[in-house]
Amino acid sequence: MTDRHTPEKDSAEFAAEAGSLWRITFAPATWAGHFLLCYTLFATGCAKGWPVGTVRHGLIGMSVLALAVIALIGWRAYAQWSPRSTGRIVNPRGDAEDRHHFLGHAGFLLAVISFIGVVFVTLPLLLLEGCR
Amino acid sequence: MTAMSRDPVTIGRGGPSRAIFAVFLLCTTLSACGDRQSTLNVAGEDAAAIATLFWVMLAGAVVLWLGMNGLFFYLSRVAPGAFPDRLVRPLLIGGGIVLPTVILATLLVWSLTMLPDQRAPDDGLRVKVTGEQWWWRVEYWPKGAEAPVVTANEIRLPVGSRTGFELDAHKVIHSFWIPALGGKMDMFPGRTTYVSLRPEKTGTFRGQCAEFCGASHAWMAFETVVLPPDDFEAWLAAEARDATPPEGDAARRGAALFAAEGCGACHTVRGTEAVGQVGPDLTHVGSRLTLGAGRIGATLDDFAAWVEHTGALKPEVKMPAYDHLSDGQLADLAAYLKGLE
Ligand code: HEC
Ligand SMILES: [Cu+2]
Repeated sequence: MTDRHTPEKDSAEFAAEAGSLWRITFAPATWAGHFLLCYTLFATGCAKGWPVGTVRHGLIGMSVLALAVIALIGWRAYAQWSPRSTGRIVNPRGDAEDRHHFLGHAGFLLAVISFIGVVFVTLPLLLLEGCR
Repeated sequence: MTAMSRDPVTIGRGGPSRAIFAVFLLCTTLSACGDRQSTLNVAGEDAAAIATLFWVMLAGAVVLWLGMNGLFFYLSRVAPGAFPDRLVRPLLIGGGIVLPTVILATLLVWSLTMLPDQRAPDDGLRVKVTGEQWWWRVEYWPKGAEAPVVTANEIRLPVGSRTGFELDAHKVIHSFWIPALGGKMDMFPGRTTYVSLRPEKTGTFRGQCAEFCGASHAWMAFETVVLPPDDFEAWLAAEARDATPPEGDAARRGAALFAAEGCGACHTVRGTEAVGQVGPDLTHVGSRLTLGAGRIGATLDDFAAWVEHTGALKPEVKMPAYDHLSDGQLADLAAYLKGLE
Protein backbone atom coordinates (compact mmCIF):
# COMPACT_ATOMS: atom_id res chain seq x y z
CA MET A 1 0.00 0.00 0.00
CA THR A 2 2.65 2.45 1.02
CA ASP A 3 4.72 1.78 -2.09
CA ARG A 4 1.80 2.66 -4.33
CA HIS A 5 1.33 6.00 -2.58
CA THR A 6 4.23 8.15 -3.66
CA PRO A 7 3.96 11.87 -2.85
CA GLU A 8 3.97 12.65 -6.58
CA LYS A 9 1.06 10.35 -7.21
CA ASP A 10 -0.83 11.69 -4.24
CA SER A 11 -0.48 15.29 -5.29
CA ALA A 12 -1.55 14.44 -8.81
CA GLU A 13 -4.67 12.74 -7.46
CA PHE A 14 -5.44 15.61 -5.11
CA ALA A 15 -5.05 18.10 -7.94
CA ALA A 16 -7.65 16.19 -9.90
CA GLU A 17 -10.14 16.76 -7.07
CA ALA A 18 -9.24 20.41 -6.42
CA GLY A 19 -12.18 21.43 -8.58
CA SER A 20 -14.60 19.30 -6.53
CA LEU A 21 -13.19 20.74 -3.37
CA TRP A 22 -14.00 24.20 -4.60
CA ARG A 23 -17.39 23.14 -5.86
CA ILE A 24 -18.65 21.95 -2.49
CA THR A 25 -18.34 25.53 -1.22
CA PHE A 26 -20.58 26.99 -3.93
CA ALA A 27 -23.93 26.09 -2.38
CA PRO A 28 -23.12 27.48 1.10
CA ALA A 29 -21.59 30.53 -0.58
CA THR A 30 -24.83 31.11 -2.49
CA TRP A 31 -26.75 30.80 0.76
CA ALA A 32 -24.41 33.28 2.47
CA GLY A 33 -24.64 35.72 -0.40
CA HIS A 34 -28.42 35.51 -0.47
CA PHE A 35 -28.55 36.03 3.30
CA LEU A 36 -26.33 39.11 3.11
CA LEU A 37 -28.22 40.55 0.18
CA CYS A 38 -31.60 40.13 1.90
CA TYR A 39 -30.54 41.69 5.17
CA THR A 40 -28.49 44.58 3.82
CA LEU A 41 -30.80 45.49 0.95
CA PHE A 42 -33.94 45.42 3.05
CA ALA A 43 -32.39 47.38 5.92
CA THR A 44 -30.90 49.97 3.55
CA GLY A 45 -34.15 50.18 1.61
CA CYS A 46 -36.16 50.81 4.77
CA ALA A 47 -33.66 53.34 6.11
CA LYS A 48 -33.48 55.26 2.82
CA GLY A 49 -37.19 55.05 2.09
CA TRP A 50 -36.91 53.05 -1.12
CA PRO A 51 -40.18 51.51 -2.36
CA VAL A 52 -40.56 48.48 -0.11
CA GLY A 53 -42.66 46.49 -2.56
CA THR A 54 -40.00 46.69 -5.25
CA VAL A 55 -37.21 45.73 -2.88
CA ARG A 56 -39.29 42.85 -1.58
CA HIS A 57 -40.24 41.50 -4.99
CA GLY A 58 -36.70 41.90 -6.23
CA LEU A 59 -35.42 39.90 -3.29
CA ILE A 60 -38.06 37.20 -3.76
CA GLY A 61 -36.82 36.96 -7.34
CA MET A 62 -33.26 36.65 -6.07
CA SER A 63 -34.40 33.91 -3.71
CA VAL A 64 -35.87 31.90 -6.56
CA LEU A 65 -32.64 32.35 -8.46
CA ALA A 66 -30.55 31.29 -5.45
CA LEU A 67 -32.71 28.20 -4.98
CA ALA A 68 -32.33 27.30 -8.66
CA VAL A 69 -28.55 27.71 -8.48
CA ILE A 70 -28.34 25.58 -5.34
CA ALA A 71 -30.61 22.94 -6.88
CA LEU A 72 -28.33 22.76 -9.90
CA ILE A 73 -25.21 22.49 -7.73
CA GLY A 74 -26.94 19.81 -5.67
CA TRP A 75 -27.96 17.91 -8.79
CA ARG A 76 -24.43 17.89 -10.13
CA ALA A 77 -23.01 16.87 -6.75
CA TYR A 78 -25.49 14.02 -6.59
CA ALA A 79 -24.38 12.83 -9.99
CA GLN A 80 -20.75 12.89 -8.81
CA TRP A 81 -21.65 10.95 -5.68
CA SER A 82 -23.77 8.54 -7.81
CA PRO A 83 -24.94 6.27 -4.99
CA ARG A 84 -27.37 4.48 -7.29
CA SER A 85 -25.13 3.54 -10.17
CA THR A 86 -22.22 2.50 -7.91
CA GLY A 87 -24.55 1.01 -5.31
CA ARG A 88 -22.37 2.50 -2.59
CA ILE A 89 -23.63 5.22 -0.29
CA VAL A 90 -20.46 5.74 1.71
CA ASN A 91 -17.00 5.86 0.18
CA PRO A 92 -14.50 5.25 2.94
CA ARG A 93 -11.49 4.16 0.86
CA GLY A 94 -8.62 6.59 0.45
CA ASP A 95 -8.31 6.17 -3.30
CA ALA A 96 -9.00 8.53 -6.15
CA GLU A 97 -12.36 7.08 -7.09
CA ASP A 98 -13.77 7.11 -3.56
CA ARG A 99 -12.46 10.60 -3.01
CA HIS A 100 -14.34 11.72 -6.10
CA HIS A 101 -17.60 10.17 -4.94
CA PHE A 102 -17.14 11.34 -1.37
CA LEU A 103 -16.74 14.99 -2.42
CA GLY A 104 -19.95 14.61 -4.43
CA HIS A 105 -21.69 13.28 -1.33
CA ALA A 106 -20.44 16.18 0.80
CA GLY A 107 -21.40 18.71 -1.87
CA PHE A 108 -24.87 17.22 -2.11
CA LEU A 109 -25.49 17.41 1.66
CA LEU A 110 -24.19 20.98 1.75
CA ALA A 111 -26.55 21.86 -1.09
CA VAL A 112 -29.47 20.38 0.87
CA ILE A 113 -28.74 22.44 3.98
CA SER A 114 -28.11 25.57 1.87
CA PHE A 115 -31.44 25.08 0.14
CA ILE A 116 -33.22 24.85 3.51
CA GLY A 117 -31.28 27.90 4.72
CA VAL A 118 -32.37 29.98 1.74
CA VAL A 119 -35.99 28.89 2.20
CA PHE A 120 -35.88 29.97 5.87
CA VAL A 121 -34.36 33.34 5.00
CA THR A 122 -36.99 33.83 2.28
CA LEU A 123 -40.01 33.07 4.51
CA PRO A 124 -39.98 36.50 6.23
CA LEU A 125 -39.91 38.10 2.77
CA LEU A 126 -43.07 36.24 1.85
CA LEU A 127 -44.91 36.67 5.15
CA LEU A 128 -43.93 40.14 6.33
CA GLU A 129 -44.60 42.95 3.98
CA GLY A 130 -43.52 46.26 5.44
CA CYS A 131 -40.47 47.76 7.09
CA ARG A 132 -41.72 47.50 10.67
CA MET B 1 -21.10 4.47 40.18
CA THR B 2 -17.53 5.57 40.77
CA ALA B 3 -18.72 8.95 41.97
CA MET B 4 -21.10 7.22 44.32
CA SER B 5 -18.42 5.11 45.99
CA ARG B 6 -16.00 8.00 46.13
CA ASP B 7 -18.33 10.51 47.69
CA PRO B 8 -21.51 8.91 48.95
CA VAL B 9 -22.34 11.67 51.41
CA THR B 10 -22.84 14.53 48.98
CA ILE B 11 -24.71 12.40 46.50
CA GLY B 12 -27.01 11.07 49.21
CA ARG B 13 -27.71 14.47 50.71
CA GLY B 14 -27.21 16.88 47.82
CA GLY B 15 -29.46 15.09 45.36
CA PRO B 16 -32.91 15.27 46.91
CA SER B 17 -32.40 18.48 48.88
CA ARG B 18 -31.17 20.24 45.76
CA ALA B 19 -34.20 19.05 43.86
CA ILE B 20 -36.50 20.27 46.61
CA PHE B 21 -34.69 23.60 46.58
CA ALA B 22 -35.15 23.87 42.81
CA VAL B 23 -38.87 23.17 43.10
CA PHE B 24 -39.12 25.66 45.95
CA LEU B 25 -37.30 28.29 43.88
CA LEU B 26 -39.56 27.66 40.91
CA CYS B 27 -42.69 27.96 43.03
CA THR B 28 -41.60 31.16 44.73
CA THR B 29 -40.43 32.85 41.56
CA LEU B 30 -43.56 31.81 39.70
CA SER B 31 -45.86 33.05 42.42
CA ALA B 32 -43.78 36.21 42.89
CA CYS B 33 -44.45 37.46 39.41
CA GLY B 34 -47.74 35.58 39.59
CA ASP B 35 -50.37 37.76 38.07
CA ARG B 36 -49.07 41.30 37.70
CA GLN B 37 -46.08 40.83 35.45
CA SER B 38 -46.33 37.54 33.65
CA THR B 39 -46.69 36.62 30.02
CA LEU B 40 -48.55 33.54 31.19
CA ASN B 41 -51.17 35.53 33.05
CA VAL B 42 -52.88 36.50 29.86
CA ALA B 43 -54.86 39.74 30.00
CA GLY B 44 -54.78 40.73 26.35
CA GLU B 45 -55.14 39.38 22.83
CA ASP B 46 -51.46 39.81 22.04
CA ALA B 47 -50.25 38.13 25.21
CA ALA B 48 -52.65 35.26 24.43
CA ALA B 49 -50.95 34.67 21.08
CA ILE B 50 -47.52 34.62 22.74
CA ALA B 51 -48.70 32.33 25.53
CA THR B 52 -50.17 29.88 23.01
CA LEU B 53 -46.88 29.84 21.12
CA PHE B 54 -45.05 29.26 24.39
CA TRP B 55 -47.24 26.35 25.50
CA VAL B 56 -47.11 24.67 22.12
CA MET B 57 -43.33 24.97 22.04
CA LEU B 58 -43.04 23.75 25.61
CA ALA B 59 -45.25 20.74 24.90
CA GLY B 60 -43.25 20.03 21.73
CA ALA B 61 -39.98 20.32 23.63
CA VAL B 62 -41.22 17.92 26.31
CA VAL B 63 -42.29 15.39 23.67
CA LEU B 64 -38.93 15.71 21.89
CA TRP B 65 -37.02 15.42 25.13
CA LEU B 66 -38.89 12.30 26.16
CA GLY B 67 -38.53 10.83 22.68
CA MET B 68 -34.80 11.51 22.47
CA ASN B 69 -34.08 10.23 25.96
CA GLY B 70 -36.32 7.25 25.34
CA LEU B 71 -34.23 6.49 22.27
CA PHE B 72 -30.99 6.92 24.20
CA PHE B 73 -32.30 4.61 26.88
CA TYR B 74 -33.43 2.06 24.33
CA LEU B 75 -30.15 2.13 22.44
CA SER B 76 -27.89 2.06 25.49
CA ARG B 77 -29.82 -0.27 27.82
CA VAL B 78 -32.46 -2.26 25.97
CA ALA B 79 -30.82 -2.94 22.63
CA PRO B 80 -27.21 -1.85 22.78
CA GLY B 81 -26.12 -3.93 19.76
CA ALA B 82 -25.32 -2.65 16.27
CA PHE B 83 -28.21 -1.70 14.01
CA PRO B 84 -28.58 -2.58 10.34
CA ASP B 85 -27.87 0.27 7.95
CA ARG B 86 -31.25 -0.19 6.31
CA LEU B 87 -32.88 0.85 9.60
CA VAL B 88 -30.47 3.54 10.70
CA ARG B 89 -30.38 5.48 7.47
CA PRO B 90 -34.11 6.30 7.18
CA LEU B 91 -34.14 7.15 10.88
CA LEU B 92 -31.21 9.48 10.41
CA ILE B 93 -32.61 11.20 7.35
CA GLY B 94 -36.18 11.27 8.63
CA GLY B 95 -35.49 12.17 12.25
CA GLY B 96 -32.31 14.15 11.72
CA ILE B 97 -33.09 16.19 8.62
CA VAL B 98 -36.70 16.03 7.49
CA LEU B 99 -38.43 16.21 10.86
CA PRO B 100 -36.50 19.21 12.29
CA THR B 101 -36.77 21.05 8.98
CA VAL B 102 -40.54 20.57 8.88
CA ILE B 103 -41.01 21.45 12.56
CA LEU B 104 -38.83 24.56 12.37
CA ALA B 105 -40.44 25.70 9.13
CA THR B 106 -43.91 25.29 10.65
CA LEU B 107 -42.93 27.23 13.78
CA LEU B 108 -41.28 29.92 11.67
CA VAL B 109 -44.32 30.35 9.42
CA TRP B 110 -46.66 30.37 12.40
CA SER B 111 -44.69 32.97 14.36
CA LEU B 112 -44.09 35.13 11.29
CA THR B 113 -47.83 35.26 10.61
CA MET B 114 -48.31 36.31 14.24
CA LEU B 115 -45.95 39.27 13.99
CA PRO B 116 -48.12 41.67 11.96
CA ASP B 117 -51.00 41.21 14.45
CA GLN B 118 -48.81 42.59 17.21
CA ARG B 119 -48.48 45.76 15.16
CA ALA B 120 -52.06 46.00 13.97
CA PRO B 121 -53.42 49.56 13.59
CA ASP B 122 -55.12 51.16 16.60
CA ASP B 123 -58.88 51.59 17.11
CA GLY B 124 -58.57 55.32 17.66
CA LEU B 125 -56.19 55.88 20.55
CA ARG B 126 -52.46 56.43 20.13
CA VAL B 127 -50.07 56.71 23.02
CA LYS B 128 -46.62 58.12 22.49
CA VAL B 129 -44.13 56.85 25.03
CA THR B 130 -40.57 58.12 25.33
CA GLY B 131 -38.01 56.21 27.36
CA GLU B 132 -36.05 58.53 29.65
CA GLN B 133 -33.40 57.72 32.24
CA TRP B 134 -35.24 56.19 34.14
CA TRP B 135 -38.84 57.04 33.61
CA TRP B 136 -41.53 57.16 30.93
CA ARG B 137 -42.82 60.28 29.21
CA VAL B 138 -46.39 59.55 28.10
CA GLU B 139 -48.65 61.41 25.67
CA TYR B 140 -52.20 60.40 24.81
CA TRP B 141 -53.40 61.22 21.31
CA PRO B 142 -57.08 60.29 21.01
CA LYS B 143 -58.48 60.31 17.48
CA GLY B 144 -58.57 63.82 16.05
CA ALA B 145 -56.71 65.41 18.97
CA GLU B 146 -54.63 68.46 18.15
CA ALA B 147 -52.64 68.47 21.34
CA PRO B 148 -51.75 65.49 23.50
CA VAL B 149 -52.70 64.79 27.08
CA VAL B 150 -49.32 64.66 28.77
CA THR B 151 -48.56 62.49 31.76
CA ALA B 152 -45.84 60.11 32.94
CA ASN B 153 -44.93 56.79 34.50
CA GLU B 154 -48.34 55.22 34.26
CA ILE B 155 -50.43 54.01 31.38
CA ARG B 156 -54.18 53.69 31.39
CA LEU B 157 -55.97 51.85 28.63
CA PRO B 158 -59.56 51.11 27.68
CA VAL B 159 -60.41 47.41 27.77
CA GLY B 160 -61.52 45.74 24.53
CA SER B 161 -60.00 48.14 22.02
CA ARG B 162 -56.62 48.29 20.39
CA THR B 163 -54.28 51.08 21.42
CA GLY B 164 -51.25 51.94 19.32
CA PHE B 165 -47.95 52.83 20.96
CA GLU B 166 -45.43 55.04 19.23
CA LEU B 167 -42.18 54.44 21.03
CA ASP B 168 -39.13 56.63 21.13
CA ALA B 169 -36.21 57.15 23.45
CA HIS B 170 -34.06 59.96 24.72
CA LYS B 171 -30.28 59.30 24.81
CA VAL B 172 -30.16 55.50 25.29
CA ILE B 173 -32.08 52.41 24.23
CA HIS B 174 -34.95 51.16 26.39
CA SER B 175 -37.59 48.51 25.85
CA PHE B 176 -41.30 48.78 26.47
CA TRP B 177 -42.90 45.68 27.91
CA ILE B 178 -46.19 44.88 29.64
CA PRO B 179 -45.94 41.07 29.79
CA ALA B 180 -49.58 40.48 30.72
CA LEU B 181 -50.73 42.42 27.66
CA GLY B 182 -48.28 41.59 24.89
CA GLY B 183 -44.78 41.40 23.50
CA LYS B 184 -41.93 43.81 24.11
CA MET B 185 -40.70 46.47 21.74
CA ASP B 186 -37.39 48.29 21.85
CA MET B 187 -37.21 52.07 22.03
CA PHE B 188 -34.41 53.80 20.12
CA PRO B 189 -33.25 57.41 20.28
CA GLY B 190 -34.21 59.10 17.02
CA ARG B 191 -36.31 56.29 15.66
CA THR B 192 -39.98 55.58 16.24
CA THR B 193 -41.05 52.00 16.74
CA TYR B 194 -44.63 50.81 16.92
CA VAL B 195 -46.49 48.15 18.85
CA SER B 196 -50.18 47.84 19.63
CA LEU B 197 -52.02 46.18 22.49
CA ARG B 198 -55.59 45.06 22.96
CA PRO B 199 -56.30 44.36 26.64
CA GLU B 200 -59.12 41.95 27.33
CA LYS B 201 -59.30 42.15 31.12
CA THR B 202 -59.52 45.13 33.42
CA GLY B 203 -56.97 45.32 36.19
CA THR B 204 -53.55 46.63 37.08
CA PHE B 205 -50.51 45.12 35.41
CA ARG B 206 -46.84 45.90 35.76
CA GLY B 207 -44.67 47.04 32.89
CA GLN B 208 -40.90 47.03 32.96
CA CYS B 209 -38.05 48.44 30.91
CA ALA B 210 -36.52 45.37 29.29
CA GLU B 211 -33.29 46.77 27.88
CA PHE B 212 -30.40 47.72 30.14
CA CYS B 213 -30.32 51.51 30.20
CA GLY B 214 -28.04 52.52 33.06
CA ALA B 215 -27.71 52.49 36.84
CA SER B 216 -31.44 52.53 37.64
CA HIS B 217 -32.62 50.33 34.78
CA ALA B 218 -34.11 47.78 37.16
CA TRP B 219 -36.14 50.57 38.80
CA MET B 220 -37.65 51.68 35.51
CA ALA B 221 -41.12 50.19 35.64
CA PHE B 222 -44.69 51.44 35.45
CA GLU B 223 -48.24 50.54 36.29
CA THR B 224 -50.72 49.79 33.55
CA VAL B 225 -54.35 50.28 34.52
CA VAL B 226 -56.90 48.73 32.18
CA LEU B 227 -60.29 50.38 32.63
CA PRO B 228 -63.82 49.96 31.24
CA PRO B 229 -64.13 52.34 28.24
CA ASP B 230 -66.35 54.87 30.04
CA ASP B 231 -64.05 55.02 33.05
CA PHE B 232 -61.14 55.47 30.70
CA GLU B 233 -62.80 58.39 28.93
CA ALA B 234 -63.60 60.02 32.26
CA TRP B 235 -60.04 59.52 33.46
CA LEU B 236 -58.57 60.95 30.26
CA ALA B 237 -60.83 64.00 30.47
CA ALA B 238 -59.69 64.57 34.07
CA GLU B 239 -56.06 64.03 33.12
CA ALA B 240 -56.36 66.68 30.40
CA ARG B 241 -57.40 69.36 32.92
CA ASP B 242 -55.01 71.73 34.63
CA ALA B 243 -53.86 70.98 38.14
CA THR B 244 -56.27 71.51 41.03
CA PRO B 245 -55.16 74.44 43.22
CA PRO B 246 -53.80 73.43 46.64
CA GLU B 247 -56.39 73.00 49.39
CA GLY B 248 -55.53 73.50 53.05
CA ASP B 249 -52.63 75.27 54.74
CA ALA B 250 -50.11 72.46 54.44
CA ALA B 251 -50.71 72.03 50.70
CA ARG B 252 -50.52 75.81 50.15
CA ARG B 253 -47.21 75.95 52.02
CA GLY B 254 -46.08 73.00 49.91
CA ALA B 255 -46.97 74.82 46.69
CA ALA B 256 -44.92 77.81 47.80
CA LEU B 257 -41.99 75.51 48.62
CA PHE B 258 -42.34 73.80 45.25
CA ALA B 259 -41.88 77.21 43.59
CA ALA B 260 -39.15 78.38 45.98
CA GLU B 261 -37.07 75.20 45.69
CA GLY B 262 -37.09 75.45 41.90
CA CYS B 263 -38.88 72.14 41.29
CA GLY B 264 -40.64 73.84 38.37
CA ALA B 265 -37.35 74.08 36.47
CA CYS B 266 -37.64 70.35 35.78
CA HIS B 267 -41.31 69.57 36.33
CA THR B 268 -44.50 70.81 34.74
CA VAL B 269 -47.62 71.38 36.80
CA ARG B 270 -50.09 72.66 34.23
CA GLY B 271 -51.91 75.81 35.31
CA THR B 272 -48.95 77.00 37.39
CA GLU B 273 -45.61 78.64 36.71
CA ALA B 274 -43.93 75.23 36.64
CA VAL B 275 -43.21 74.32 33.01
CA GLY B 276 -39.99 72.30 33.23
CA GLN B 277 -39.49 69.43 30.79
CA VAL B 278 -36.55 67.56 32.34
CA GLY B 279 -38.61 65.38 34.66
CA PRO B 280 -42.06 63.79 34.67
CA ASP B 281 -45.18 65.94 34.33
CA LEU B 282 -46.60 66.29 37.86
CA THR B 283 -49.98 67.86 37.01
CA HIS B 284 -51.85 64.81 38.31
CA VAL B 285 -49.08 63.03 40.20
CA GLY B 286 -51.40 62.69 43.23
CA SER B 287 -53.52 60.14 41.40
CA ARG B 288 -50.61 57.93 40.35
CA LEU B 289 -50.25 54.49 41.93
CA THR B 290 -46.46 54.68 42.25
CA LEU B 291 -43.64 57.20 42.33
CA GLY B 292 -40.32 57.17 40.53
CA ALA B 293 -41.53 54.90 37.73
CA GLY B 294 -42.77 52.12 39.95
CA ARG B 295 -40.01 52.57 42.55
CA ILE B 296 -42.23 53.17 45.60
CA GLY B 297 -45.91 53.63 46.43
CA ALA B 298 -47.67 56.99 46.43
CA THR B 299 -48.62 57.67 50.03
CA LEU B 300 -47.79 60.97 51.76
CA ASP B 301 -44.77 59.25 53.34
CA ASP B 302 -43.64 57.99 49.95
CA PHE B 303 -43.78 61.52 48.51
CA ALA B 304 -41.68 62.86 51.39
CA ALA B 305 -39.22 59.95 51.14
CA TRP B 306 -38.86 60.43 47.38
CA VAL B 307 -38.03 64.14 47.65
CA GLU B 308 -35.64 63.61 50.56
CA HIS B 309 -33.78 60.49 49.34
CA THR B 310 -34.15 60.51 45.58
CA GLY B 311 -30.65 59.26 44.80
CA ALA B 312 -30.77 56.61 47.50
CA LEU B 313 -33.98 55.24 46.02
CA LYS B 314 -32.76 55.42 42.44
CA PRO B 315 -28.98 55.51 41.90
CA GLU B 316 -27.73 58.29 39.59
CA VAL B 317 -31.22 59.72 39.22
CA LYS B 318 -31.39 63.10 37.45
CA MET B 319 -33.23 64.75 40.33
CA PRO B 320 -31.32 66.18 43.31
CA ALA B 321 -32.17 64.90 46.81
CA TYR B 322 -33.72 67.65 48.92
CA ASP B 323 -32.34 66.36 52.23
CA HIS B 324 -31.85 69.89 53.56
CA LEU B 325 -35.62 70.28 53.94
CA SER B 326 -37.10 69.79 57.41
CA ASP B 327 -39.63 67.06 58.12
CA GLY B 328 -42.33 69.70 58.29
CA GLN B 329 -41.39 71.13 54.90
CA LEU B 330 -41.29 67.64 53.37
CA ALA B 331 -44.75 66.94 54.80
CA ASP B 332 -46.04 70.18 53.27
CA LEU B 333 -44.56 69.30 49.87
CA ALA B 334 -46.08 65.84 50.15
CA ALA B 335 -49.48 67.32 50.98
CA TYR B 336 -49.28 69.56 47.92
CA LEU B 337 -48.14 66.79 45.55
CA LYS B 338 -50.64 64.26 46.87
CA GLY B 339 -53.36 66.87 46.34
CA LEU B 340 -52.50 67.12 42.62
CA GLU B 341 -55.12 64.58 41.64
C1 HEC C 1 -32.89 68.66 37.96
C2 HEC C 1 -34.25 68.38 37.62
C3 HEC C 1 -35.23 68.12 38.76
C4 HEC C 1 -35.55 68.93 39.83
C5 HEC C 1 -34.94 70.29 40.17
C6 HEC C 1 -36.58 68.25 40.55
N1 HEC C 1 -36.90 67.07 39.95
FE1 HEC C 1 -38.32 65.78 40.53
N2 HEC C 1 -37.76 64.51 39.07
C7 HEC C 1 -36.78 64.74 38.14
C8 HEC C 1 -36.61 63.56 37.35
C9 HEC C 1 -35.62 63.37 36.20
C10 HEC C 1 -37.50 62.61 37.83
C11 HEC C 1 -37.69 61.17 37.33
C12 HEC C 1 -36.77 60.30 38.11
C13 HEC C 1 -36.87 58.84 37.79
O1 HEC C 1 -37.88 58.23 38.14
O2 HEC C 1 -35.94 58.31 37.19
C14 HEC C 1 -38.23 63.24 38.89
C15 HEC C 1 -39.27 62.64 39.61
C16 HEC C 1 -40.05 63.28 40.54
C17 HEC C 1 -41.23 62.72 41.14
C18 HEC C 1 -41.85 61.38 40.82
C19 HEC C 1 -42.78 61.54 39.64
C20 HEC C 1 -43.38 60.28 39.13
O3 HEC C 1 -44.12 60.34 38.16
O4 HEC C 1 -43.10 59.20 39.65
C21 HEC C 1 -41.69 63.64 42.04
C22 HEC C 1 -42.92 63.53 42.90
C23 HEC C 1 -40.79 64.75 41.98
N3 HEC C 1 -39.81 64.50 41.06
C24 HEC C 1 -40.89 65.88 42.79
C25 HEC C 1 -39.98 66.92 42.79
C26 HEC C 1 -40.01 67.99 43.74
C27 HEC C 1 -41.05 68.17 44.81
C28 HEC C 1 -38.96 68.78 43.43
C29 HEC C 1 -38.50 70.03 44.16
C30 HEC C 1 -38.35 69.90 45.58
C31 HEC C 1 -38.27 68.20 42.29
N4 HEC C 1 -38.92 67.07 41.95
C32 HEC C 1 -37.17 68.73 41.69
C33 HEC C 1 -36.06 65.89 37.97
C34 HEC C 1 -36.08 66.95 38.85
CU1 LIG D 1 -34.89 51.85 30.43
